[in-house]
Amino acid sequence: MTRSTFKADEMALAAVFVVPILVIMGGLVFYPLAVSTVDSFYRVDPMRPDTPFVGFANYARLLTDSSVQASWFNTLSYVAFAVVLETVGGLGAALLLNRIRHGRRWLLAVTVLPWCLPPVVNAIVWMWIFNPSYGLLNKVLIGLGLIAHNKVWFNDQATALFLISLVHVWRMMPLTAVILLAALQSIPGDLYEAARLDGAGPVKCFRLVTLPLIAGGLAIALSQSTVFAFNLFDEAWILAGSSLDTRSVIIQVYLTAFQSMRLSSGMALSILAMIGSLVVSLIYVLKVYRETRFD
Amino acid sequence: MMTRLVSSLLGRLGLLLAVALLLVWSLGPVYWSFVTSITPPLDLFGDPSFWPKHPTLQHYAKLFGATSLSQGNAVQSVWPQFSAALLNSIITATGATIVTVVVAAAGAYAFVRLRFPGRDICFYLVVATLAIPAYTVMIPLYRLMISLHLIDTYAGIVLIYVSAFLPLALWLMRSVYQAMPISLEEAAWLDGAGRVYTLVFIVLPLAAPGLIASAILTFLNAWGQFMVPLVFSPTLATKPLTVLLPEFVTRNYVDYGLMNAAGIFAIVPPVLIVLFLNRYLVSGLMAGATK
Repeated sequence: MTRSTFKADEMALAAVFVVPILVIMGGLVFYPLAVSTVDSFYRVDPMRPDTPFVGFANYARLLTDSSVQASWFNTLSYVAFAVVLETVGGLGAALLLNRIRHGRRWLLAVTVLPWCLPPVVNAIVWMWIFNPSYGLLNKVLIGLGLIAHNKVWFNDQATALFLISLVHVWRMMPLTAVILLAALQSIPGDLYEAARLDGAGPVKCFRLVTLPLIAGGLAIALSQSTVFAFNLFDEAWILAGSSLDTRSVIIQVYLTAFQSMRLSSGMALSILAMIGSLVVSLIYVLKVYRETRFD
Repeated sequence: MMTRLVSSLLGRLGLLLAVALLLVWSLGPVYWSFVTSITPPLDLFGDPSFWPKHPTLQHYAKLFGATSLSQGNAVQSVWPQFSAALLNSIITATGATIVTVVVAAAGAYAFVRLRFPGRDICFYLVVATLAIPAYTVMIPLYRLMISLHLIDTYAGIVLIYVSAFLPLALWLMRSVYQAMPISLEEAAWLDGAGRVYTLVFIVLPLAAPGLIASAILTFLNAWGQFMVPLVFSPTLATKPLTVLLPEFVTRNYVDYGLMNAAGIFAIVPPVLIVLFLNRYLVSGLMAGATK
């Protein structure tokens, strides 16, 4: 298309419609992103004079900082718990929803509900369930005879990480279920017919027909779960505050920047976290695409 | 014959069990929060029951009351804070929704139907920001907002929400317009209707489901935001419910009845959306996540 084919009135209207978007996104996303990137190489600290160029010093300090290392460990634990539970649970829910004929719309609405609620409220609701003295979890487990007396769940790091992940999974699993349900519904029914005629049982049908055909949806669901778990903040902050046992990388960014006011250090960590979440989700997408290409 | 009957019965039973499990998992915590919110304080420390023996509205009365009793002592009412935060939540989430949907409806139309230089690059640049987490831009944004005097203002919060939720709305609306036949618009143009007239009176009514889906997703995202207002809404001038609720924990002793009552309030809008608009919500989620 050559420049002369653009009509003046069309361009004017397009300018009216698109310029606000460019101003908002440019000013509030691209400009701050550029500042974040550049300033992470300087020392920006309101408590100290000047902003000298420090190269990779901010990044180097992050690698040796023990709180930062702890927060990476916690975030990776969240990602591992969340991705596994959301994928297994979401796939189960999607297969179930796909089989239901009557009332599917309402079961789907109920399934999606946790995703719609404010994460803070979810965390508060679960905090009461996890309460060591009066919480439902202890009472139910004692009632079932699984534990003998009340447990203080957040005293143990592994349990705390798991329970915070569980609250996150409660909220995010619906998204996985919806994505996988959309993928399941796009599979033509006669493929199952053909597989069954060839003598394939339900398990074989699932492995040979369902799984390859929902691989694309699975890749999207996996990368969504990963990115959201990577960015986990609300649940951990409400349930355990700044505790080092459960502090995620994003909480560490928040504490560094907005409580210690070490701005450039916070920006450097936020850039690393962004790169981390992008790389991890990219790996899934590439891996799933490569594996499905051979099928 | 018998075995087939048994296995089909077993299958049906398994299906029912799975449905029950999904219902309990999704609704159980919400139901438990509701039960807590209508249980008298002292009963909260007793054995859990499916329905409280003496249901009470006293936790809600505490939210709305001018003064309230807590463990026998009169304490300051939370209503001034609670009502201010509720109003702030409504204003910021509604404002962000309106601005986002209007800007996305116009912008996506331009990206689909109008021809101008740099069209695709602009679109993909905007959508690519979906991959940039909010916290990566938050620190410079904080300083920017201070210099613009937009900290703790509705305008500032709404602008940040729009910048965060616009890409998804644009993505949705573009796919809606792309699925529409252009012949309708061409017929209108032949009748002498202008571009804007066609967009407002012919295209937008047809795009209503997409507009509703974008509005719902934006509203829910804005309503549930926590980290952005935690930084940008330091006082009750704009502080939303999501930031106020956790403060109930730390300031007084932890009043779970009150917290759950306030939480039930905060989930009313999302629950209404799920009840009445679930069709649009699900289609929006599917389109937003899979295209």
